[in-house]
Amino acid sequence: MSAERITRREMLKRLIVAPVGAAALATLPVREGSAAVLQPYYEPYFVAVLWEGRTRCDSLWRSLKGDVVAILPTVQGTTPYDRLYWTGYALGSAPVNVNMRVWARAVDHNGVPLGNGWRAIGQATIQTPPQRWFRVEIPEGHWDEYRIEVRSATPRLVYSRVIASQGYWKE
Amino acid sequence: MPVRFLRNASELADVSWETPLPVQVANAKPVPADTLLVATTTVTTDANRDLLGSTSTELPTLDGCGQYRKLVWFYFRAGADATNYRVLARATDMSGAPLSTGWQEIVPATPLPGNGVANSWGRIEIPSTGDGYYDQYRIEVQRTAGSNNYSLTSKIVGVR
Repeated sequence: MSAERITRREMLKRLIVAPVGAAALATLPVREGSAAVLQPYYEPYFVAVLWEGRTRCDSLWRSLKGDVVAILPTVQGTTPYDRLYWTGYALGSAPVNVNMRVWARAVDHNGVPLGNGWRAIGQATIQTPPQRWFRVEIPEGHWDEYRIEVRSATPRLVYSRVIASQGYWKE
Repeated sequence: MPVRFLRNASELADVSWETPLPVQVANAKPVPADTLLVATTTVTTDANRDLLGSTSTELPTLDGCGQYRKLVWFYFRAGADATNYRVLARATDMSGAPLSTGWQEIVPATPLPGNGVANSWGRIEIPSTGDGYYDQYRIEVQRTAGSNNYSLTSKIVGVR
């Protein structure tokens, strides 16, 4: 059984119906770019917040955690989750034009990856007017580790969170 | 009169939109995903070789899978040579003995994704559509071209 603890600020963010971002994604599906649309997922599903924070995007491919070390995962221990959602908000007055890509891999019982490198799950370009929410749905579930990378020709800050949902059954 | 609750060890908060009562989902459980197998297989031209390396066609690769709706097979293949995989399944009785010999072929011999690309990752859902709930599975791999045997490292997760 999982319960989620959130801050007052985060609760306010969820209640704000933000403008819908016009994200153009090449291969990954995207839904309405509003934090409020996440709300229904909290009721029937078991949701975990895997990561939340600020990413300083620049011209290098960086993990959401900021590193450029390609072997490091952004999130780990994701075996139980059948879907991940990345929701973000880019600061700045210029239009948002951020490239992103998602990698995944499986690990053995010791936590060691089964092989070198990663499986490419998908890539996309997030293009929105300034100060809009965007949201990316990462469909391939049950991988053990994911690396979510971003880059932007124009340096900017992105605030975002990655959540994962798990199916459920009624007792 | 406001309703208050202990938000943390030392803070009492009024119930409001900003500070709702903490809740848990009741009468439901999250679906677990269990790791059923981690194995490295040498992929050869042998027919009927399963992920455990066995060519005994009556031996299952996975047993006790009746509770799983779906299996997710993750793999890393070191070689690029053309390879087929095949998935067989069957049910067992209360004692765990198969209802009969043989198998139901739920995936016929199919090219393994990643043919032509060494050191690549793959992910296959079993079954690809609908639900599983078979008790036993046998997953076979066979190199169909090229001359180099290679290692295939697999992990199979059962999803209920």
